[in-house]
Amino acid sequence: MSRYGAFQIGGGGVAAVLLLFPIILPEIKIHLAIEILIFALLAVSFNLLLGYGGMLAFGHAAPFGVGAYAAALSCNHLPGMPLLVTLLIAALSGFVGALFIGFFCVRLKGAYFALITLAFQMFLFAAALKWRSVTRGDDGMGVVRPELYLPGLGSISLMNIHNLYYLTLVLVVVGIVACYLFLRTPLGNAVMCMRENDVRASFLGYDVFLTKLTVFSFAGLLAGLAGGLFVLFQEFVATTAIDVNRSFAALLMTVIGGTGHFLGPVLGAIFYTVFQDWISSLTKHWILFVGILFVIVVMYLEGGLISLLKWERIRVWVSGQKE
Amino acid sequence: MFINFVLSAFGAMEEENVCSIYANQVDLGVEKDDVGVRGDRGRRFWMDISINIYLIQLVHGLVYGMLIFLVASGLTLVFGMMGVLNIAHAAFYMLGAYFAYTVAVYLGNFWLSFLLSPLIVAFLAILIERFLLRKTYKAGHLPELLLTFGFFYIFVELVIIIWGSNPLPVPVPALLAGDVPFMGKTYPIYRLFILGFSCVILLGMALVLMRTQIGIIIRAAVSDADMVDVLGHNVPVVFLGVFGGGAALAALAGVIAAPFLSTYPGMGMDMLLDCFVVIVIGGLGSLWGALVAALMIGALQSLGILWIPQLALVFQFLLMAVVLIARPTGLFGEKE
Amino acid sequence: MVILKLDDLFKDFSGLEVLFGVSLEIIEGECHAIIGPNGAGKSTLFNIITGIYKPTRGRIFFLDKDITSWPAHKIARMGLSRSFQIINNFPRMTVFENVRNAIVSRFQRRFDWTSFLNRSKEITRESDHMVNLLGLTEVRNIPASELSYGMQRKLELALTLARDPVLILLDEPTAGLNAEETRIFVELIKQVTEGKTLVMVEHDMEVVFNLADRITVLNYGEVLATGTPNEIRENEGVKKAYLGRR
Repeated sequence: MSRYGAFQIGGGGVAAVLLLFPIILPEIKIHLAIEILIFALLAVSFNLLLGYGGMLAFGHAAPFGVGAYAAALSCNHLPGMPLLVTLLIAALSGFVGALFIGFFCVRLKGAYFALITLAFQMFLFAAALKWRSVTRGDDGMGVVRPELYLPGLGSISLMNIHNLYYLTLVLVVVGIVACYLFLRTPLGNAVMCMRENDVRASFLGYDVFLTKLTVFSFAGLLAGLAGGLFVLFQEFVATTAIDVNRSFAALLMTVIGGTGHFLGPVLGAIFYTVFQDWISSLTKHWILFVGILFVIVVMYLEGGLISLLKWERIRVWVSGQKE
Repeated sequence: MFINFVLSAFGAMEEENVCSIYANQVDLGVEKDDVGVRGDRGRRFWMDISINIYLIQLVHGLVYGMLIFLVASGLTLVFGMMGVLNIAHAAFYMLGAYFAYTVAVYLGNFWLSFLLSPLIVAFLAILIERFLLRKTYKAGHLPELLLTFGFFYIFVELVIIIWGSNPLPVPVPALLAGDVPFMGKTYPIYRLFILGFSCVILLGMALVLMRTQIGIIIRAAVSDADMVDVLGHNVPVVFLGVFGGGAALAALAGVIAAPFLSTYPGMGMDMLLDCFVVIVIGGLGSLWGALVAALMIGALQSLGILWIPQLALVFQFLLMAVVLIARPTGLFGEKE
Repeated sequence: MVILKLDDLFKDFSGLEVLFGVSLEIIEGECHAIIGPNGAGKSTLFNIITGIYKPTRGRIFFLDKDITSWPAHKIARMGLSRSFQIINNFPRMTVFENVRNAIVSRFQRRFDWTSFLNRSKEITRESDHMVNLLGLTEVRNIPASELSYGMQRKLELALTLARDPVLILLDEPTAGLNAEETRIFVELIKQVTEGKTLVMVEHDMEVVFNLADRITVLNYGEVLATGTPNEIRENEGVKKAYLGRR
């Protein structure tokens, strides 16, 4: 059983499970699965900055929220806009927002960088809160899910939650795979150089500002897409999409999952959402346990939860089964 | 139904947060006819507002500004010395206020909390620094930051568990209740007390830092911790002292603030955001900067409400961003 | 041909004056050492040349272009490469990956987002070549932070050379090495910088007199003398500056 073979089986298994979810899970859990997918994308984009770029951003809710509001405004004010274009608008809004903010932020490092991204995000939050004529402030805006039109398949109603699940699954997987491929290009490698030693990189000829701005904008693109999908799912957008708690939630998820591994944030998103769903039925204070777990991870488990999963063991288990 | 559930679960803290953004703007002690509403849906032309109102709002702003300073001072000193942005610091403020509530309401004596709150909180802070935070110094700034961040969340949730999510008003002590005539209107004595007491603390801090041996060591450590170490002083103990002292000060600020703002779970986050703005504008590591910036932000919030309510909140974050862009070390910070 | 020309450089750091009218020319193909007591301003000079600081006054010409106000990465791309006195590599990346970062830059593919890095045969081949050239083959896949000090110094040299630069600046390349390691390292430097233009800051006089074609002596931010090793040995001012200290 070669390593590649085991990977294929594992990957195939995961894909099969994901595709079969709507059939095997009850409807309430499908909602949860959609939520997990959306936050997985957000967390992966956050980790692009933190784990791969070495940049801790406190204001990552900014591109997410901008994408969310853009999608909502597109659905409500541009009737007849194809759904996929709306989502594209969301992603591009996140991209442009991040590009603009990044232009000012990316020159700074460490706590300064974290705080300036927070400043911009809080600024956008305050704008969303006060600009009631456009955003309806903290009351929020309701959004009707448009139909998805695919050539050859006709109009697909997204009121059917299974359809929404598949759409979200496809787009999130595309986003995450794009991120993975990005990291394997020379540009992706340049981003990792920034994390390791950006000063040395500049002496090797790397333009630190442009490289960081690029990854910041790309992360914004993915976060914006996640925001658009979020609005589609919730059928509603309010300032909760762009507030400080949203930023911090992304941080919590990513660190708990593990910043050192590409799929760490995905695990973090799964854990965070499932845990919240499970614990909330027992107690209102699930955040306390997340906080405690977070502290434990920071102190004693640097690789995050994903470092507990030893791939060796899984590989051996799989090959053992085969024999 | 599920959506509401999700929203409320995610937004459990946010609800408080939103209320609280208005909380400071509520209870301005300003009445409607002072402001000269001219019938066009609340838009007030600035010349309609009498000068007295401005002054009262200014004093109000200075009061809140001093509170922010008391909390931000510890935060900025710790950052200057250790390079750690202690996010849990605002939680110390919140804990101070809640302890004050408990002491005042259950033990009947508000003044006792002046002593107990800071002590308990300082003790807690010292425990955290000694046994947990210290371990992360080797790992770099990121784990330190994340640890304090985790503790912030834990403390806020603990407060909600123990005291509930509703705002808990703390009665103003009898000695300081009531108003005094001021500028043709009346002004609550308690707020003047806050202002006065904070100034006393400020003077005390200035004296300690400028005149005493330990104060000089602290200032040196903020400037260059390694040098102080080389000179033979026990730097970890100095860190511990500043960390604990800053926490005590934040708790004291919480105690004083409790009758003024009442206690609510979002007060930690509110103060955290205000502190961030203040220490960035003032300069990370600079006490004078924190003072100037805190007073500025307090005044900005209070006066801004009179002029353009929509933008008061927005403006302070814009200012923070502008400062970080133009002069990252802040108004008074030292260039690296 | 003059590769690098320093024209009357002054530098003061908010009142602390470090360089006073330093002028210097580096000729193609030579190995030029800059020596001087501590605090003479050698590192500052390097920092100014490579773009970290801007001089208060004066100009720098590299290949006849005025690079005085250029940012560090632009200067590096022109072919000016520098090593560091304090180890300055990419700690969690392997030796191979470290060198590859420099090779990617040499091939101008820093912003390439359309191909996969480990599929690029050319880059892999060049990186391996560099790794082998500097005798780092055994530790190719070890993270840089886990290397011994001597190996890290070699990696430092590798990073500097991997871009195939026109001008190489070495900042105390043998710092921290013992006598034996220094000898071996000097041989290595001679070997790999064959025919290239080299400017070196060094404290070890043996290394200097071994490698250098010309020497410049810096003292208190001023150029005391420039010349061949023999000329410097005979120079009265230099003798006073050094011997007067003993």
